[in-house]
Amino acid sequence: MLKMTHLSKVYRTEVVETYALRDFNINVNEGEFVAVTGPSGSGKTTFLTIAGLLETFTGGEYHLDSVEVSRLDDNARSKIRNEKIGFIFQAFNLIPDLNVFDNVEVPLRYRGMKAAERKQRIMDALERVGLASRAKHYPAELSGGQQQRVAIARALAGTPRLLLADEPTGNLDTQMARGVMELLEEIHREGATIVMVTHDPELAARAQRNVHIIDGQVVDLAEDPRFHAHQAARSSV
Amino acid sequence: MLQIKPILVALKRHKAGTILIALQIALTLAIVCNALFIIQQRVNRLQRPTGMVETDLLTVQNRFVGVNDLDTAPLIRSDVLALRQIPGVEDAYATNSYPLRGGGWSTGAKVDPNAKKSMAHTTQYFGDEHALATMGLKLIAGRNFNASEVVVADQRAIPPSPGVIVSKALADKLFPGQQALGKPFYLGDNTAPSAIIGIVERLQVPWSGTWSDNFNDNAVLLPVQLKSNFTVYLVRAKPGELAAITRSVKDTLFKNNHMRVINGERGIRTFDVVRDQAYKSDRGMAILMGVVCLMLLAITAAGIVGLTSFWVGQRRKQIGVRRALGATKRDILSYFMTENLMIGLVGVVVGAGLAIGMNLWLVSQFEMARLSLFYVFGGIVLLLLLGQGAVLAPAMRASRVSPVEATRSA
Amino acid sequence: MFAYYFQLGLRSLRRNIVLTALMVMAIGFGVAASMTTYSVFRATSNNPIPQKSSVLFAPQIDNWGPEDNDKGEPPSAMTYTDAMALMRAHKATRQTALYPISISVVPADANILPFQENSYAVYGDAFAMFDIPFLYGGPWTAADDESHAAVVVISRNLNERLFHGANSVGREINLDNRNYRIAGVIDTWNPQPVFFDPVNTSGFDDPTQLFIPFTRAIDLKVSTAGNNNCNKDPGDGWDNWVRSECVWIQFWAELPSKADADNYKQFLTGYAAEQQRAGRFRWAPNVRLNDVMTWLDVQKVVPPESKISLLVAMGFLLICLVNTVGLLLAKFMRRSSEIGVRRALGASRREIYMQFLIEAGTVGLAGGVLGLLLTGVGVLGVNLVFDPQIARLARLDAELILLTLLVAILSTVLAAFYPTWRAAQVQPAWQLKSN
Repeated sequence: MLKMTHLSKVYRTEVVETYALRDFNINVNEGEFVAVTGPSGSGKTTFLTIAGLLETFTGGEYHLDSVEVSRLDDNARSKIRNEKIGFIFQAFNLIPDLNVFDNVEVPLRYRGMKAAERKQRIMDALERVGLASRAKHYPAELSGGQQQRVAIARALAGTPRLLLADEPTGNLDTQMARGVMELLEEIHREGATIVMVTHDPELAARAQRNVHIIDGQVVDLAEDPRFHAHQAARSSV
Repeated sequence: MLQIKPILVALKRHKAGTILIALQIALTLAIVCNALFIIQQRVNRLQRPTGMVETDLLTVQNRFVGVNDLDTAPLIRSDVLALRQIPGVEDAYATNSYPLRGGGWSTGAKVDPNAKKSMAHTTQYFGDEHALATMGLKLIAGRNFNASEVVVADQRAIPPSPGVIVSKALADKLFPGQQALGKPFYLGDNTAPSAIIGIVERLQVPWSGTWSDNFNDNAVLLPVQLKSNFTVYLVRAKPGELAAITRSVKDTLFKNNHMRVINGERGIRTFDVVRDQAYKSDRGMAILMGVVCLMLLAITAAGIVGLTSFWVGQRRKQIGVRRALGATKRDILSYFMTENLMIGLVGVVVGAGLAIGMNLWLVSQFEMARLSLFYVFGGIVLLLLLGQGAVLAPAMRASRVSPVEATRSA
Repeated sequence: MFAYYFQLGLRSLRRNIVLTALMVMAIGFGVAASMTTYSVFRATSNNPIPQKSSVLFAPQIDNWGPEDNDKGEPPSAMTYTDAMALMRAHKATRQTALYPISISVVPADANILPFQENSYAVYGDAFAMFDIPFLYGGPWTAADDESHAAVVVISRNLNERLFHGANSVGREINLDNRNYRIAGVIDTWNPQPVFFDPVNTSGFDDPTQLFIPFTRAIDLKVSTAGNNNCNKDPGDGWDNWVRSECVWIQFWAELPSKADADNYKQFLTGYAAEQQRAGRFRWAPNVRLNDVMTWLDVQKVVPPESKISLLVAMGFLLICLVNTVGLLLAKFMRRSSEIGVRRALGASRREIYMQFLIEAGTVGLAGGVLGLLLTGVGVLGVNLVFDPQIARLARLDAELILLTLLVAILSTVLAAFYPTWRAAQVQPAWQLKSN
């Protein structure tokens, strides 16, 4: 489903070159639920933005659903984002000017769907996250947990092949976080491929597989000494 | 000031907004300078005095029907006498035209009859010994006409008048630095001279447009009663009687002789109306330019408020950090004021160039004078103050940003 | 998709209400100022006789010479001598000399006072040349011109007043105590600018109500009611005047083809050369032949006030647009988070362009509606600046309404190009990173 090989991402400024990702390799199979963990600045968000085609990369290869994406132009990338990928952001990123219904509608609009089908899908998705009754509310009128559910509904409405979540519970309290996590697990059980970035070990533990990123590279948790050092540092806090 | 360098750095990051504000200031300056200049020129025009006492003055345009020009003299005579009989009328006379009427006679004047070119262009007003009193002209030298000097003449065959009254402007043109009274000069292609028997302080030509600007105050009064179908009567009312006479004058004239036409809106006008109509477009142009200036300044100010507010909103966190690091409210306020001043300075420098360029172009296209630099400087000060005024509200808002903002995530 | 974006645009009008109001006002005022002044410019630069403006020509002959003429240009009018020479030569398909006269109508009913209307002395050809429509009867004949006949063509308006609208052809009216037979009654005819005589009307005047034969007017020694310009004293009396170098007559020739016009110009040059040989002109032939629109331009029929105010208004609109660029930039960039999300959710750059340009178009439309109201007010206020003769020509018609809305929308969309380009540059990744 998602395969990156020897992928690298370099940020260049006038003075320095920083490798955000270096010789990065990962393979996520269809139907997997993968949690990506790692300390701040390790490159996990960069990985997610590249995986979501929000950003280009410097070297290596990235196959998404068996398509090599590095040579695609902006339009083609937009199309893939729209049709194959669903995003769930830490800050929800609902459009404040649009109500719940209209927010969920946004990706469907770009797909040029007929009005009746859009409506069907939106209501299904909202039903799914338990917010069908709030369709006419504006984001500001909802709690954080509800907002994130709307965001998930928006991601689901387009029936994406791949769901990318960036700290989906990061801005939520424990109880709301639990609800969102349960929703994600449910979606996974129904067959969706999910890649979730988090630095919450508890959350990561609920995924099928954990991938750990340190200094822009995937490391084997068991063998890498840096991980142990990191764990030690964490436990000493 | 201390803040100039950080401001420059910040402005670099808002190039588009900076350029837009500067451009707007520049364009506004260019248009406002020229518009104010046009206003001033037009206002100057419409403040030009006619030399007459303009209150209590009534004008009548009359045309006799079915009468040969040459047979009109007794009709005019009878009209003038009838007008002078009206109770409340101070004086009246018949003429060909009067200041600001819009149409009249003009000719050249010269001192040397053999000269090829005339020395000055002048308008000619015809009238009798009642002309000075009716118009209320101020005689500053010499004397008025006697009744015996007034001749009746075919308008196509006017004999040279031996004695005429001229305006001071014309006298000065013909005899610069000399005593003009009593001196002879020649009107048009006349072979006989006319001597200056009187000089009036001022008397304007019948035209208000730009074409007569270079002889605006050159006038000569000739003691001639023209035989013409078309006649103008000037009537001076006694104080407080003007309105009544304006209403009754038509009846008086028609009772005297009904084979005449006194046409609609230009037939009978008080001199206030004459002045209004003569300078309508000048006054209108001044008003229009004034309105445009005000709207422009308002819109430019609004633009500055809008963009600066946006910047303040964008930089709330940055401002919070500065406050947390010890910047006072005054520092923040002066930061935004200085920023605006710097943008404004760039704008007015470009704008001053544009203003002068625009004026040069207008001069080449229309009959217009060169822009006085006074207006450019005035405009610069005006726009810089406008900018400072406009930026004040958003800058105050910025200065009230709490240092707590620094700790909040964007 | 257009409907969706238009809907979003309408919705966005309500966001940042102050910013939006500022923009709508800027556009509204800018467009209104431009359209109001344009309405005057359009009226004054109008082609009053589009179907014939390129075949009607006003000849000029320099009878004053380099010493007296205006910077080398021949006088704007003709002497009686030259006008008669051109009439006699008859080198054009149709031709007429004409001049405005003051002539009074004396109604048969002695209780009604005499009155005066705009009148012209013309040749019979003038009616066909100027496409003057007839209600009853027709022009007088060439024979009438020849015989200096006492005939008259009156306007529909005058016919209403004197004959209550009945067919008055063949009846007589009294003009300045002389009787004239009515040859025809013209229908409403009011070309503005008054192309056939911009010299005496400055281009704008009330409709002409009376026409009498030029030859008759000369017989009766009717002087011009317009300008008479002399470079030297014509001498005493009417006969000296018509023989003098004083200019006061307008002349028109109808020349259907380019070749005709070229030939006519040659003829004029030849005529001037003849005058030079005869010793009347002491200078080389200096003639002009202008068609209607060129003639109106030469006579500066568009008042400078109209041009200056149009220019200033366009400058005003430009400033309003610069202002709008800035405000749109602020309005759009304030929504960069929305743009980032939309891009992440699959909107291509093109979609973002569409959305924001259409949104700008919506702002423009709102500005246009305001502009339309203000233009209406402005057109009513035109008489503050311009003569009533011109002011009444400025009208808010369908064309101006459409143009107002179009200019408002197009100029706003134009102003939106840069802000929209900036909006489309917002990276889809922006949102993730900023967290």
